Amino acid sequence: MSILKDFKFHSPDSLSQALELLDKTRAPLLLAGGTFALNTLKKSSKYPSDVISLKKIPELKGIKVKGKELWIGSMTCIDELIGSKLTGDTFPSLKDAALKLGTTPIRNMATIGGNIASRFYWVDLSAVLISLGARVEAASLEEKRIVDLDKFLAEKSSKKVIITGILLPQEERCSYYFRHTRTVQEVDVPTLGLAFSCIKGKEGLSDVRAVVNTTLSFPVILKGIVSILKNSEYKNVKVSDIREAILKDAESTKLDEHRLALLVQDLEKLIELLKAV
Amino acid sequence: MKKIKVEINKKLHELEVCDSELLIELLRDRLGFLGTKYSCLEGDCGVCTVLVNGKNVLSCLMLAAEVDGASVTTIEGLAENGVLHPLQEAFIDKGAVQCGFCTPGMILAAKALLDQNPHPTDEQIERAIDGNLCRCTGYVKIVEAVKDASKKINPNDQISISK
Repeated sequence: MSILKDFKFHSPDSLSQALELLDKTRAPLLLAGGTFALNTLKKSSKYPSDVISLKKIPELKGIKVKGKELWIGSMTCIDELIGSKLTGDTFPSLKDAALKLGTTPIRNMATIGGNIASRFYWVDLSAVLISLGARVEAASLEEKRIVDLDKFLAEKSSKKVIITGILLPQEERCSYYFRHTRTVQEVDVPTLGLAFSCIKGKEGLSDVRAVVNTTLSFPVILKGIVSILKNSEYKNVKVSDIREAILKDAESTKLDEHRLALLVQDLEKLIELLKAV
Repeated sequence: MKKIKVEINKKLHELEVCDSELLIELLRDRLGFLGTKYSCLEGDCGVCTVLVNGKNVLSCLMLAAEVDGASVTTIEGLAENGVLHPLQEAFIDKGAVQCGFCTPGMILAAKALLDQNPHPTDEQIERAIDGNLCRCTGYVKIVEAVKDASKKINPNDQISISK
């Protein structure tokens, strides 16, 4: 007896074919790396009529410079993100988060597009990508559009859309990622992630972006923290300032005491790192 | 059903696979490559590891139809003409095998590493086998075995380094 229930498998070799299949099939499931999707299927009561693999679609592959942005194809494996000079060397926080993701075989299989499209609250990459100013390039039969990643996640998920790529501004930024996990059934499950990036110049910090992944919701931009870390103000920040600034975003973050304490710790570490750069 | 062409252990196979058939089901149940094992079926344990186009992946998280056009290596594909691969020899010599259940996956993960990085550090080896659980050895002997195999596979490189 087979492990998975029956469905029809498709492996289109172009984006247009994939979009047509997505449109005309009753209950399709897009298959990227498979590490979330096939696992979920084994336990799911909702079952797809059709599984559409994105592996053979050339338009979804590669890492390229496009003007002032870096384009990362949605089918780029996590392992490729780590190994590529264009991503790994330019965006340290992205490399750090990618290295913390799963295990070696999972990193060989899982893709950046799959990670985002899964819409699991606890995935690491979304917070980091938002902190780096990422935009999502998505295609449907009707249109191709580009939208900020945080806005994309906030939208209602559409079954008829394929993420084709991620666009990252190519700027010289300081970037960091902190992550905490707890062990559940021998698996490390993230409990909190803090992604931070900024431009550091003579005047201090500018274009500061701090994003927290609480694992309880999609990543939240910490506006309060941004306001106390800009320019040269970060040098004089005290723990009480950090707590106060985090609490300004309490309505969106909904942090419990444990996560709040972890976030304060991380921000203290971050400020020390920024002073040392 | 889907028709696929796949090279398994350097031999070309033309197969019909069910749309929802997992790669592990094809390899183990239909083709008899019993070194590819069932266990967690969630991608946690690594005993179903195979190499697809040289990369270690989990055959419990991949559909058989997805390897159309690919090259797959199972543990049975490592020995050549009855001679064990240096990694297999090193695992025996260093006592890196106890119950043996994790060993095929562990060796394939190590092979993927050594093919990319002939002289890994302990840390790189530990990272490469992080997806393969072993309940017996404590990993120390496994790391030693991989280091030993790397020296055997690339003896000339070692000489040039020592010069």
